[in-house]
Amino acid sequence: MVEEVQKKLESELNLFKQCQKEYQKTLNSRQLLSAQLNENESVQKELELMKDGGGEVYKLIGPILVKQELEEAKQNIKKRIDYISAELKRHDDTIATLDTKQDGHRENLTKLQQQFQQEQVAKMRG
Amino acid sequence: MSVSQSGGEGMQQIDLTKLAFPQLTQLKNQLDSELGVVQDSLQTLKRAQVKFQDSKESLDKITPSSQGNPIMVPLTDSMYVEGKIADADKVIVDIGTGFYVEKSIPDAQDYFKRRVAFVTLQMEKLQFIGTEKMKIREAIIEVMEMKLQALQAQKKAAASVASSSS
Repeated sequence: MVEEVQKKLESELNLFKQCQKEYQKTLNSRQLLSAQLNENESVQKELELMKDGGGEVYKLIGPILVKQELEEAKQNIKKRIDYISAELKRHDDTIATLDTKQDGHRENLTKLQQQFQQEQVAKMRG
Repeated sequence: MSVSQSGGEGMQQIDLTKLAFPQLTQLKNQLDSELGVVQDSLQTLKRAQVKFQDSKESLDKITPSSQGNPIMVPLTDSMYVEGKIADADKVIVDIGTGFYVEKSIPDAQDYFKRRVAFVTLQMEKLQFIGTEKMKIREAIIEVMEMKLQALQAQKKAAASVASSSS
């Protein structure tokens, strides 16, 4: 009986650890995305401040600077912000589901641990 | 006997005295790692602030009269070629995500001023969050010590009861 509970406990622990790993991974990429969003938003603000014909806009492509129309640059930035926002939302959803999943595992673990201890006591007595 | 200590950041209020010891430890560890992140971020922001400030100050050295002045252009870290300032009115500024914008000197100075102000604002916000977290951490430690003392007193009492009854 004790062995059975122990086995269950171990498998549950593995599941929990896996869940934790995934959670951390998602959280890291979420952080990266939010940093990118911040940067893109500040670039957008900067481009909005530019007057038409008031200086050129260049885009760094590999090692060279390519001249770009202000309107085009604005559109590109907007597209990128939309994309990053969507990705961010997707990550948030994943994090929320992983959160509940983790809580479930944690609950199971405490239950199994209690059960394990009870079984051990019962075995010692018996 | 318990002082109700509420540790929360506006979103939730928890009575720390009601938490079990392992939970308190977990909470403290969490706060410790959060504080580490705050400190790291502050340092990064500080570096960015210095960078923007330096860029702004170096603009002061470019005046219309420096047009045509000879400069040494670094090709590598250890090799330079001689050049001339062709256009002392305009500079090209990196505004992030690979975008570079041509700006007049005053406009560029404005840009760096804005960036420095922005970074400073973020630093202030972060500093505030940091001190808040510090306060909560201290409260947790206080409650932990209280619990430990209570536990020890309990043990002592139990021991004295046991010794007097036997």
